[in-house]
Amino acid sequence: MPRTTPTFSRREVLRAGGLGAATLALGISAPATAGAAPPPSDASFGLGVASGSPRSDSMVMWTRLTRDPLAPDGHAGMPRRNYGVHWEVATDPELRHVVRRGHALAQPELAHAVHPKVTGLRPGTAYFYRFRSGETTSTVGRFRTLPAAPAVPDRFTVGVVSCQAWYHGHFTAHRHLAAEPDLDLVVFGGDYVYEYGITEANLWRQGVSVAPEHEAEVQTLEQYRLRYALTKSDPHLQALHARVPAVAIWDDHEVQNNYVGGRSAYGLPDEIFAHRVAVAYRAFYEHLPVDVEALPDGPGSDITTGFDVGHLARFSLLDTRQHRDPLPTTAEEQADPSRTMLGSAQERWVQDRLVDSPAVWNVVASGVVLLAVTEDRTDQWDGYPAARARLLDAMSRSSNVVVLSGDIHHAVAGELRADWGDPDAGNVGVELVCTSVASDGDGAPTDDYAPDWLQHDYVRLYDGRRGYLTVTLTPEEMTSTFVCVPWVEADDTAPREVLARFVTPAGSPRLVEA
Amino acid sequence: MPVPSSRPPARVTGLRAEPAIARTELSWRSLGFDPLIDHYRVHAVPGDRGAFDPDTSNLVAKTVYPQLTHHVDPRGETWTYRIVAVSDAGRTARPSAALAASSVASVVGTGRPVATIGDFDARTLEHRFAPSGYAQIPAAYPDAVFELEQGVDSPADAWPYLLPGPGDAWAGRKVYTARWRLTLPGPVEADHDLALWLVDTTRLGGTLRVVVNGDALADVTLAPGATRGSREGDATVPGTALVRSYHELPVGSGLLREGDNVIELVLADGGWVAWDAVGLFAR
Repeated sequence: MPRTTPTFSRREVLRAGGLGAATLALGISAPATAGAAPPPSDASFGLGVASGSPRSDSMVMWTRLTRDPLAPDGHAGMPRRNYGVHWEVATDPELRHVVRRGHALAQPELAHAVHPKVTGLRPGTAYFYRFRSGETTSTVGRFRTLPAAPAVPDRFTVGVVSCQAWYHGHFTAHRHLAAEPDLDLVVFGGDYVYEYGITEANLWRQGVSVAPEHEAEVQTLEQYRLRYALTKSDPHLQALHARVPAVAIWDDHEVQNNYVGGRSAYGLPDEIFAHRVAVAYRAFYEHLPVDVEALPDGPGSDITTGFDVGHLARFSLLDTRQHRDPLPTTAEEQADPSRTMLGSAQERWVQDRLVDSPAVWNVVASGVVLLAVTEDRTDQWDGYPAARARLLDAMSRSSNVVVLSGDIHHAVAGELRADWGDPDAGNVGVELVCTSVASDGDGAPTDDYAPDWLQHDYVRLYDGRRGYLTVTLTPEEMTSTFVCVPWVEADDTAPREVLARFVTPAGSPRLVEA
Repeated sequence: MPVPSSRPPARVTGLRAEPAIARTELSWRSLGFDPLIDHYRVHAVPGDRGAFDPDTSNLVAKTVYPQLTHHVDPRGETWTYRIVAVSDAGRTARPSAALAASSVASVVGTGRPVATIGDFDARTLEHRFAPSGYAQIPAAYPDAVFELEQGVDSPADAWPYLLPGPGDAWAGRKVYTARWRLTLPGPVEADHDLALWLVDTTRLGGTLRVVVNGDALADVTLAPGATRGSREGDATVPGTALVRSYHELPVGSGLLREGDNVIELVLADGGWVAWDAVGLFAR
């Protein structure tokens, strides 16, 4: 049986600067004898398992050894020692038919998280995996590898979630999404965690309490680790991760509200704020099933990634936070054609992927809304109109573009106009904005912001309740289903309700209510 | 195969202290990102003590930044500091060299209060519309003038927690004035001090013009703040992003008079200020 041996490019090794190439490598693959001492008998994989970075022949798997996941020091009660973690991948849920196995080293430098990458898998195939360390064994996770090009699968379904303010409500949306009968992948669209202190004023999730260490705004690595642990302690989120592979982009709250590029919105000098960015990006890497490319180098990280689902769909996941220009202070500055949301390299990258794509569908995940809403929404693409026009131009030269976004805690569906002011200009794609899982609590169908959105004839849906989105792609059409849960604050028992469903025919970028 | 442990972080060097009103501004040389520093622990003991052993009993703060503002008693205090870096692996560095530093005494601690608006407690909470009702201010004060009469009005009734400025679109981009009427019972023969303590300012900074009985006293330059004080009212919360600032101005005896006095605080440019408290103090 082949063992998975990681290979690292020179760039990746150089990027490991702040961590050490050995630590990085061992967190992905290690000799079986490394960390041979068993972990404490009460250690477990208390934050669940996850898979991600899907490819047709490989997958990244994730878990973290814990004893007390919410220990205040961020190390989950683990001694500051290395422990071996063994993993196996099989074709059956009982893991009788193991096709790959390997080892990784859980190290205190990475909060005892491991990111083994299993390679050499068959495309379009279901697999099951689990971890073991000492006497403790993880739950079984499952994933399906992507179909390989040029195959065009009959269908591919993606779940979309965003904005997981743990303290604002229960993750009922995750409970329902994890139970969807047809699901291949989940996209986390940003704000996986929130940095705010949890106090009486904002703890709207009923039936829980938190220790005093959660009251302070998150700032240090131990605090970010603790906040990820708190968020990932939710059983419904764990179930979702175990069910399907996940890909994730970030927005602002993974670091600090409304930060822009390397700049805090709250007055800290950039060179000082960089210390917080560095630990926040590290904690993101430590807690998500991302590939080695996402390992930060100090206050910089590369989470931009893409993958193809055969020739059915091409996904491009954007970082709309790290490389953007500062918010504009004048209308002239806002209109400045040199302003960028993505940075020049990422902008070229996504343009090339769109224009050169062989796929039927071209899915772009953005941390903030692309639709034109109002000029004062400068944190969204509205603040970067020239950069948006360039992206829309590339989309117009692609096929069947679908933008997935979040951030606003509302479900919105809209058509992307080639020219916002000209209804006859035609559409270059559609945008599906996922509401929050919990942020802002129960919510309501409408609110004072509704007219800003519904004034536009290209906006087809606006709703302020919690929930998620599923997107099913076939060679002929896309079906987008907006699901809401009527409440999240009281408990996690709210039912699944379909808020709206749209069909988008391939070759006709519009939203047809179904 | 034994796997070597990562090295502990280096010892913090370059510890500096700048005395300031009611606080000491500490900074030190950043240790960079290799290894990644989880946080710096700031240990402090009262007085000028030389080297001391850092432990949990003298841990005053953890910060990810190579700097910290240590808020101390307004009467002025001396503390001795040592900094310990903690790495991503939880490994601790040797403590920095000890540094003793003194804050600048505030008139709030050394003076005799003649009249005050609010409590000098790093909170806006006793003021009108606090901690987050700023949107009500423009409608409540269409002429952009607040007025509080000492002994008659309370901060909860007559002194909104924010004084907006021309940089605030939500407040009509106006120059707002906070007018304080106070009565001094006898002849003013000695200089006084005016303390303006702010819980936060905006990223715009600004200029706060101080006028005493019609005479310009000073144009106070407001440093950029966190722009968070419009929504949060307590700067004592651990990890708060609020940026407090302290301005204390001597007021010559000639500017004050027995009987009625008017002190006007005019936000001539920039964005809002969030009040902690305002006070006139005798020396």
